Amino acid sequence: MEDIVKIKGMKAGLILSFTRGAKFDEIRANIQNKLESGNSFFIRGTTAYVSKDTLPTDQIEVLRKMFHQHGMLFRTELPKIKVENPKTEPIKKLPPEEDPQQMIVINKTLRGGQEVRTKSSVLICGNVNPGAQVIAGGSIDVRGTCRGMVHAGAFGNTKAFIVADQLIPMQIRIADMIARSPDKMEKSETPERASIKNGHIVIEPITR
Amino acid sequence: MSVRIVITSGKGGVGKTTTTASIGVGLAQRGYKVVAMDIDTGLRNLDLLLGLENRIMYDLVDVTRDNDPIPYKKALVRHRKYETLFLLPTSQVQNKDAIKPDKVEKLCNEMDKEFDYILLDSPAGIEEGFKTAIKPAQRAIIVTTPEITAVRDADKVIGELGREGIDDIKLIVTRLRPKMIEEGDMFDMRDINDLLAIECIGQIPEDEAVIKATNRGEPVITMEDSMAGKAYKNVIGRLFGEQIPFYKPPKDSFFTRLKKLFGML
Ligand SMILES: Nc1ncnc2c1ncn2[C@@H]1O[C@H](COP(=O)(O)OP(=O)(O)OP(=O)(O)O)[C@@H](O)[C@H]1O
Ligand SMILES: [Mg+2]
Repeated sequence: MEDIVKIKGMKAGLILSFTRGAKFDEIRANIQNKLESGNSFFIRGTTAYVSKDTLPTDQIEVLRKMFHQHGMLFRTELPKIKVENPKTEPIKKLPPEEDPQQMIVINKTLRGGQEVRTKSSVLICGNVNPGAQVIAGGSIDVRGTCRGMVHAGAFGNTKAFIVADQLIPMQIRIADMIARSPDKMEKSETPERASIKNGHIVIEPITR
Repeated sequence: MSVRIVITSGKGGVGKTTTTASIGVGLAQRGYKVVAMDIDTGLRNLDLLLGLENRIMYDLVDVTRDNDPIPYKKALVRHRKYETLFLLPTSQVQNKDAIKPDKVEKLCNEMDKEFDYILLDSPAGIEEGFKTAIKPAQRAIIVTTPEITAVRDADKVIGELGREGIDDIKLIVTRLRPKMIEEGDMFDMRDINDLLAIECIGQIPEDEAVIKATNRGEPVITMEDSMAGKAYKNVIGRLFGEQIPFYKPPKDSFFTRLKKLFGML
């Protein structure tokens, strides 16, 4: 069944749109559910946008309150696309000696709460578990199952890509684009590769 | 030389203490000399599960304090029935700083010669108490339920243990409810093994016998006819490398399957 609440990840935050004709109660329940289920898209501090002409003001206010209660920001007007991505901030702390042409190798499974940050590309011989993060200036190759959060091209390199034997992450970020996992997770049998094509993150099967 | 095993989980209330008590008894039944240490200061209950609450004289705080500590032998409580099983209780008073990781490690070194096994019952979380419990350990048993939160926490804890250099880590999954798993409301063993990728040595079903056992102060492993008791018995075997298949609850009997086949049901 189609999700009545569609979410599009943008530089500035999340843009929400609703299936035409969907009842407000359904929309509200749907969002509430997503907020409470710890949907990895709805991260504290993220801004959610609902265009003000999609819903009457009183309903907009109900949604605003819901997002605020979950520590998110809420806007009804899209910003001019110029916004600095707050996500680029911690990258200053990266070790300066590495560069995107190089590749570092991690020979273990990254478990929840563990993080790899590098300016270079990274090869992980192991899994990336939920709650683990990989942030790389270059590309990310997971020789295992990737279920965590992976951010390739974290400096803005839109040519960076992410490859995994099984690519079922919570979230994929490439440069300043975000894609979240589909709500129904299907295990892919073949390795897959995520990259930016025509302004979207696309995932395609590959052969190694 | 003793084998030191920490029983830990991340998430609270998943069955660490239940597991520690049953493993303690199971090892003692095999003739090993075992000390089960309660590291959950302020929330102690290993003594209850072992039915030894009324025999406590001194506790871990008394043994590890800086001024005039009590010799550990005075604090050990011998089990009534399994004479090679001892409890080293912790304090009932909530003072997390009272017990220092270094001191507990030193204590384990002192007990090293006397015991075959030192079991460390860790508190939930990954704070001081957890750190105190894992410091002396060489091995770990991770306890989880088939809930997503517990499994995620278990994963984190495995990461923490790795950081501490503990890489002999085994898994016990408790409170399994076949119905809920079948209906997809809980992780099944495949999902869990897939994610945690460590060797599983126990699948303990949800069983009322555990509650009865707790109330009686007799670890469930002693209730040999119970499902959970049997499952813990198998844990002991697997700890010693015995190849014991996991028990699969029967779904349909042969006859119901036949009847279904012939459209009689
Ligand atoms: N297999 C089981 N079937 C039914 N109940 C169980 C089972 N295992 C544990 N329990 C119950 O779950 C509760 C928590 O168990 P236990 O105290 O062993 O967990 P714990 O991980 O030590 O908790 P804490 O984090 O508070 O130390 C108890 O009430 C216990 O009786
Ligand atoms: Mg406990």
